[in-house]
Amino acid sequence: MIYMTDLIQFTESKIEKKPIFLLGNEAIARGAVEAGIEFASSYPGTPSSEVGNTLSLVADKLGIKFLYSVNEKVALESAFAASISGMRSLVFMKHVGLNVASDPFVSIVYTGTRGGLVIMTADDPSMFSSQNEQDNRHYADLAHIPMIEPSNPQEAKDFVKAAFEISEKYHIPVLFRTTTRVSHMRGPVNDGEIPKIKGTRKVFERDPKRFVSLPVNAIGLKKMLMEKLGEIAVESDMSFMNSTPSNMVSEIGAITSGSGYNSLMDAVTSHSIDMDILKIGFTNPLPERRISEFLRQHDKVVIVEELDPYMEEKIRAIAQINEIRTRIYGKLDGYFPLSYELNPDAVLQSLARILSIPGYIQGKSPKTESDLPPRPPVLCPGCPHRGTYYVVKRSVRMSNIKNPIYASDIGCYSLGTYEPFDEADTLISMGSSIGVANGFSMVTDQKVIAFIGDSTFYHSGIPPLINAVHNNLDMLVIIMDNGTTAMTGQQPNPGNDLDYNGKPVTGIPIENVVRGIGIGNVSVIDPYDLKASFVTINRALHQTGVSVIISRRECAIIRDRKLHKNGEIEIYTVNQDKCGKCMNCVENFSCPALFIENSEIQINPSICDGCGVCAETLVCPFNAIEVKK
Amino acid sequence: MTYNIRLAGVGGQGIITAGNIISEAAMRSGQKVIMSEIHGLSQRGGSVTVDVRIGDYYGPIISESSCDLVIGLELIETFRAIESFENVGTALMNTEKINPISLSMHRKEYPRFEDLMEKYGMGTKIYPVEAGEMAMEAGSSKAVNVVMIGVALGLNIFPMNADDVVYVLKDTFPGKKLGINMKALELGIAWSGLMKTNIHDSSHKEAHLL
Repeated sequence: MIYMTDLIQFTESKIEKKPIFLLGNEAIARGAVEAGIEFASSYPGTPSSEVGNTLSLVADKLGIKFLYSVNEKVALESAFAASISGMRSLVFMKHVGLNVASDPFVSIVYTGTRGGLVIMTADDPSMFSSQNEQDNRHYADLAHIPMIEPSNPQEAKDFVKAAFEISEKYHIPVLFRTTTRVSHMRGPVNDGEIPKIKGTRKVFERDPKRFVSLPVNAIGLKKMLMEKLGEIAVESDMSFMNSTPSNMVSEIGAITSGSGYNSLMDAVTSHSIDMDILKIGFTNPLPERRISEFLRQHDKVVIVEELDPYMEEKIRAIAQINEIRTRIYGKLDGYFPLSYELNPDAVLQSLARILSIPGYIQGKSPKTESDLPPRPPVLCPGCPHRGTYYVVKRSVRMSNIKNPIYASDIGCYSLGTYEPFDEADTLISMGSSIGVANGFSMVTDQKVIAFIGDSTFYHSGIPPLINAVHNNLDMLVIIMDNGTTAMTGQQPNPGNDLDYNGKPVTGIPIENVVRGIGIGNVSVIDPYDLKASFVTINRALHQTGVSVIISRRECAIIRDRKLHKNGEIEIYTVNQDKCGKCMNCVENFSCPALFIENSEIQINPSICDGCGVCAETLVCPFNAIEVKK
Repeated sequence: MTYNIRLAGVGGQGIITAGNIISEAAMRSGQKVIMSEIHGLSQRGGSVTVDVRIGDYYGPIISESSCDLVIGLELIETFRAIESFENVGTALMNTEKINPISLSMHRKEYPRFEDLMEKYGMGTKIYPVEAGEMAMEAGSSKAVNVVMIGVALGLNIFPMNADDVVYVLKDTFPGKKLGINMKALELGIAWSGLMKTNIHDSSHKEAHLL
């Protein structure tokens, strides 16, 4: 709903409601629009997804070519092409997405760019929605790419614009790194002008000595890159993105960046701790002259940063090279934690140890673990994945398969790892279900079942499937096709016939892909039809070679939206006279709408979404679940 | 002035919408606001919290030591939010129960309200609100979030006034939905008016328990 307000703010400035209340990611989209981008691409991933959700609302209106790509690598390669054709381009992804795009990422820094190219990546300290908390700042060193990090939505917007300027001035891509707390923080943002973009077709001017990175060319490009980086280091020293927000009054200083800056400021202001701050927004190359000056001005300097001691290592090196004897505190000497995001309490505790502030050193007594019933993430009511997992588990048991291996993947269906399904033995990275299944098939005699969603399949499930067919391996691959990239907020994928804006695109049916690879055993099931699914899965479990089952049913959230638009949803209730209290529905199907009260099974009418799967005999053998009259 | 609010509930209850309404209203009343929304793994059904910080803050994370106001849209989630701080000024609690599957899956029932209150509700001023019924009266069970905002306004513990909230509602909801939410807001405010009178009339001890 707020998006609608923002949409108006994006395109018209007639409503007087400045500043706008924007999410960090919305501010990045806004900044890119104000910078005059003509091209944007992405593969959705939390915590970066809202950049795309926002752009998708305004791209067409503003004449920006925006698309969700099949994966991050293709997204980056497309944006690179747009850049070297002269367009300002934005590409964005979650932190692990940059791993997928890392191959072109490193080399396009060598070749350089034409139109400004900003690569936004969102890290996830504390792993709210990710498999690791890798610190993508290391990519800046790996690729020798300039890096910029904002602390709040206003900076996110302003710094993105600056990033485009730097990219264009030095013909180099710029890495724009956020963390969850910056991307998912909402705050006031003063908007700026949106330039009119031409939106015309470009003519690519060839320059093979630059853009063909064969060794013969790359060898010269590397040297040029290092020279360029030297010039950009001077830029960093003068940049407004590095600042000393308070007066210099103390012998104690802190150097900080990103979300760490926010936690530090909240800690020192709420406890009136006197400290000078050097805030770094241009984090590669670091502003070496400013840092050494700041170190000289202080007896003690604390480095406050999240995740790895990225700045700390460099700052200690700067001190060593410049023979500065300031005492430096950080993670390497154990004052700050090496894991998880920082918060004001954690920063205060570290500062208390460094500055010997009594009272806070011990921190608070650790909280006793709450014994309130936990509420971990669950598959939505009506989610088609529930039916798939339920029936696969039954089929495996009925077929008397001992020790099956469930190789799972990344998406909503990752939640199949939780009770009562417990159908995930591995889950590593996008597409890894089928990749890992390759190995298991080669080294064990266990039945290997791989679960993968439609979007993940297109993203990186196809090469490992080719590998499996080519090497005559044994596995059952269950492609859970809900027709969308659900977990990140229902973005479209190559299976769809329409793009995010309802424009026709060419949907690529999964069955065509898998048959094209040469797989003969391909069936399609409807996970709302448990009985038929059960029969098909049973058959597939006894096949050898690579078998594919496509479990196809629209995402329940999309279905709900349509049903609500078209009128009432039929919901279900338990006929207590018929209920045999076998508890199968709550114990093994476990829809969030089902609960027990006064020893009776009930259905919460405000949660039931009317899928009716619980009413099937395979879940309720007493046929006690009926449509509510 | 600084004021920290944690909104807690179950995914799908409109927590983020509520956070946005409160934040925008506070901004309209001329205050500095930041809000944190963490999008977890599940679209619906998991615990969700949104933090709103009003005042001169830099980051969106509320210190564990204290929170001025907890607004809980579900019973267990309200207590979970209260438990995550050492001190909570006031807690407004929608008494609706949404069963976590971690209970029914193990044949357990939702804990009794009185037991939860006794175990987790001591030391915090908690206002239990039957917001679900008021939302239905307003026209949609989805309006519990706005009912709770009305309750907070009516109790005069919100650092903003009703006009600002009404402005934001008009900006947020179209047509029929606006009517439902305006009604929900009114019912929430009226509930608080009644509550204040009751507290005034009853003994100090009872008032505190409420």
